[in-house]
Amino acid sequence: MLRDVLFTPFADMIAAPDFLLQVLWEGLVSGILYALIALGFVLIFRSSRIFNFAQGIMVVFAALTLVGFHAMGVPAWISVALTLAVMLALSVTIERVVLRPLVGQPDIILFMATIGITLFLIGFGEIIFGGENKVMITEQLGIPTGSFVLEPWGGLLILEQKDVTAVIVAALLVAALLAFLNYTRMGRAIRALGDDSQAALSVGISLQTIWVLVWFIAGIIALVTGIAWGARAGVSFALEVIAYKALPVLMLGGLESISGAIIGGLMIGMLEKLFEVYWGQPLMGGGTEAWFAFVLALVVLLFRPQGLFGEKIIERV
Amino acid sequence: MNKLVKLATATLIAGVTAGAAMAQELYTPNLSYRTGPFAATGIPLMNGQADYMTMLNERDGGIGGVPVNFEECETGYSTEKGVECYEKTKGAAIVTQPWSTGITLQVLPKTNVDQIPILAPGYGFSPMMDGKTFQWAFNMPSGYWDAADMIVQYLEGQGSLDGKKVAFLHLDHPYGKEPLPVLEAAAEAKGFELLPIPVGLNEMQNQASQWLQVRRERPDYVVMWGWGAMNAGAITEAVKTRFPMENFIGVWWAGHDADLRLVGEDGAGYKSISWSYPNQDAPAMKAVREYVTDKGMTKSNPEEMTGVFYGRGIVMSAILAEGISAAQAEYGTGEITASQLRWGLENIDFTQERIDELGLTGMVPPFATSCANHTGNSGGWMLEWDGEKFVKASDLLKPDTAGYADLVAAASGQYATENAPWEMNEACEG
Amino acid sequence: MLYRTAGQFKTSYKADQALFPVRQDAVLLAIILTFAWVIFPLTASEFAFQTLLIPIMIYALAAMGLNILTGYAGQLSLGTAAFMGVGAYACYKMITLMPWLNPVVAILLSGVFSAGIGVVFGIPSLRIKGFYLAIATLAAQFFLVWLFEKWSWLYNDNASGAIQVPNLEMFGTYIAGPQAASVTEYYVVLFVVSLLTLLCINLTRGTLGRTWKATRDMDIAAELIGINLMKSKLTAFAISSYIVGVAGALYVFMWKGAAEPNVFDIPLSFQVLFIAIIGGLGSILGNFLGAILIVGLPVILNLLPAAIGVQIDSAMVEHLNVMIIGSLIIFFLIVEPHGLAALWRLIREKLIIWPFPH
Repeated sequence: MLRDVLFTPFADMIAAPDFLLQVLWEGLVSGILYALIALGFVLIFRSSRIFNFAQGIMVVFAALTLVGFHAMGVPAWISVALTLAVMLALSVTIERVVLRPLVGQPDIILFMATIGITLFLIGFGEIIFGGENKVMITEQLGIPTGSFVLEPWGGLLILEQKDVTAVIVAALLVAALLAFLNYTRMGRAIRALGDDSQAALSVGISLQTIWVLVWFIAGIIALVTGIAWGARAGVSFALEVIAYKALPVLMLGGLESISGAIIGGLMIGMLEKLFEVYWGQPLMGGGTEAWFAFVLALVVLLFRPQGLFGEKIIERV
Repeated sequence: MNKLVKLATATLIAGVTAGAAMAQELYTPNLSYRTGPFAATGIPLMNGQADYMTMLNERDGGIGGVPVNFEECETGYSTEKGVECYEKTKGAAIVTQPWSTGITLQVLPKTNVDQIPILAPGYGFSPMMDGKTFQWAFNMPSGYWDAADMIVQYLEGQGSLDGKKVAFLHLDHPYGKEPLPVLEAAAEAKGFELLPIPVGLNEMQNQASQWLQVRRERPDYVVMWGWGAMNAGAITEAVKTRFPMENFIGVWWAGHDADLRLVGEDGAGYKSISWSYPNQDAPAMKAVREYVTDKGMTKSNPEEMTGVFYGRGIVMSAILAEGISAAQAEYGTGEITASQLRWGLENIDFTQERIDELGLTGMVPPFATSCANHTGNSGGWMLEWDGEKFVKASDLLKPDTAGYADLVAAASGQYATENAPWEMNEACEG
Repeated sequence: MLYRTAGQFKTSYKADQALFPVRQDAVLLAIILTFAWVIFPLTASEFAFQTLLIPIMIYALAAMGLNILTGYAGQLSLGTAAFMGVGAYACYKMITLMPWLNPVVAILLSGVFSAGIGVVFGIPSLRIKGFYLAIATLAAQFFLVWLFEKWSWLYNDNASGAIQVPNLEMFGTYIAGPQAASVTEYYVVLFVVSLLTLLCINLTRGTLGRTWKATRDMDIAAELIGINLMKSKLTAFAISSYIVGVAGALYVFMWKGAAEPNVFDIPLSFQVLFIAIIGGLGSILGNFLGAILIVGLPVILNLLPAAIGVQIDSAMVEHLNVMIIGSLIIFFLIVEPHGLAALWRLIREKLIIWPFPH
């Protein structure tokens, strides 16, 4: 028994290094997508202390809007622009209707409000788009669909080109976002709001503009995530459950840390695949991905209650 | 927007017909799921079912002169809503069509008390075959255990299974686990290794690790019991990992055109066992086009209507309609009751002549039910995706029901003891 | 007028702290109890029992359990459904292993198991706070549901992996299972819910309740004034999980009749959380009000189109339903973030001084 846990999996890894690489690659791709969703959470949490549960449905909504516009005959790239416009309109509406009246309420109330938004968008989306599974317009957006086949150590390693594209685009997006937050006025304002909202307001930063902006950025991230994930298995409301996968990432990385979200996402993506393939499937009947990330994050939190990269919690009476 | 307009007209028409039918009607509610994670596979089936009944109402004025009220009650595949719908409709309904396995399991014991037949064509609980124990439940024309048996037969036809490895990719849910006893028995008898690979409800969209396992274990065949978003996920992953498509076989719920269209040509060779086939030239399909589609009374679309699932919906309603007309003939009344319909469903005789007469040529294999056998074990065809659509790739396969008769007896016996006191149909001979 | 308190004098602190400082409250409660115990059972239809009365009671109980933890002790939990599952599976195992056991006793005992599991998953709360803890409770949620699916001993190796409620007898009548009459099931539920509500009211007003509230309001401060945080948090987890577990056992045994593991998946947790929050955190009454709104409203909305003669597609109704529930949650949060219970408190205060507002 102990041998199966402590020895066999590692022997398997060494015996088939190409397979190990494939597992890590799959983990990396899922990890990137978890990281993107977590990033949406972190941005909103930093600037407004809102734990935005609606990020998952925003991914679905953005992807469906994109496919919907294209189905109406709009060219692919114009559809992207229109979808962004819709996401902006959504951000403005959410800010006006939901967030503004709830300023200053306890965290849990704001959290519940985002669940309310989630339900509303599910019903609304199903009326407009219907519940059918849709094909993501991968080719029309110019995303390559072939795959690279490598043969390390005489083995086999398959890299889907759309996954490679997703990884590159995600990396670019993160770089752009970091540049925006660090080097532009607006970006600095967002960070200021995250650090100390009272002080930020007193130097004339507009809460409303920032909120709209932050939700809009979360909308852009949602669209990218939706395209990447939709290219893998189609777009339907079942995608919404991936929001849950981002939660342990947040725990691990810390609710306020952008780099934490990215590193946490990649770590969870790869570790959960490794665990599932080398321990879960042979020893526990599989399906461990459902809880592995949460349990891992829980264990980490027991040692670092603010997550790996979160800000140290200082409590005063 | 177009969709909304269509919806509005459809409801308007439905409203008018329902209003006129208040006096005399056959109320056969359908616990549909056009929302939720399984909606993608539910919608074409529900559309097919509804359109066939609308066609009968338009062409023949219903069944035996009595219009059918095929109202839908939306469950979103949730058992809670399912019970709500069942309770809401059971007063006037002559049949209940529960759809999800979860709802079926919950409603099954209640129908025995409320005395309403459950019609679960091709799904539900496999031991329902035992009509003496499950006197109110029907899952004709074929059950999951038939499907498992036929798939094994088909694989054997490709060469001996001795020493082979068969992966069983299934939804981690009562539905996915249903065929396991038969597959396990077959593995023992034929000497192949069975490797169950569960897919959790939250992993349906991302099956990378399941397919990594497939790649590592190198099974000779993959058999899939998938549903909803899981099918699309599995098929795209199979293409990605270069699993030979011709060795990948799904149950009938895993053979949805839209899922295969995602991969198109790359999916060519994928197979699905099926007890229905969407024969576009069948007179019934033509009638549906003439009386329903052309009048704009459908919620479906031309692409969906050529699919396997839409065709299956048609067959499902045809089976129900046949049960109703059998009961009408037996009891000499148009407006039959729930228990009369039970007799009708027990005495369906879908001979080849009858199938041709109904205009369902080539859409469903012949089968007959009796009070002892509520499944009919029609058998089915192996359908194959040719890159654009599903085509028949085998002759009619018939399940060897004797192989798992013991399993049926044991499972239904166990059910009856667990639910004691459970009313059996003692009058049934044979 | 109706709620005039003039003439009701308190002569001792004890009287001032009594359960019903205002006489009209007691009268109102008596009326509600009469309805619940006598009038509803006599008049309700099968449909009303199965879709309104029984589920509202059970959900209210589950929300009450969550409210002890979240509303009183301040520990946010998203794993309620999994603890309901523990209760349900424990009850199923007890009934099938010991068929002689009285079903009501089995239901009440099943909570003990979920309390045990609850304490185990409550231990991290000693170090983790706020949303981090909420996500940590999701670990319990996903792990336990996975376990229900994989551990076939729990469902007696049933081929389809589901649990089925057998026919259970007590005093010669069926109280659970397909043969049981809805009205009997309702009375069993009502009895258990009343019992536990009484328990909760007294607990939250006593020492334990005050300890919890102190922990909720500021745990470090509470610790400084000598409250044992470990004891306070873990008792909250234990008692909350006990109630939630009993609610889970009732949910399967008295209402659904059968359950597969994914019934206890996260949507159920959220449903219960909605009820607790819309009803009002830190209130017992709120759980019932919230359950009436969240459970009852969709049923009514589904009936509405047919009742007013509008023919509308059933799927459309469901979509609209989801939208309306979502909007209502937002609406109520904006109008009264402290929940329906706070709304009632406000109305009551207005009533007491009405018609002279000063």
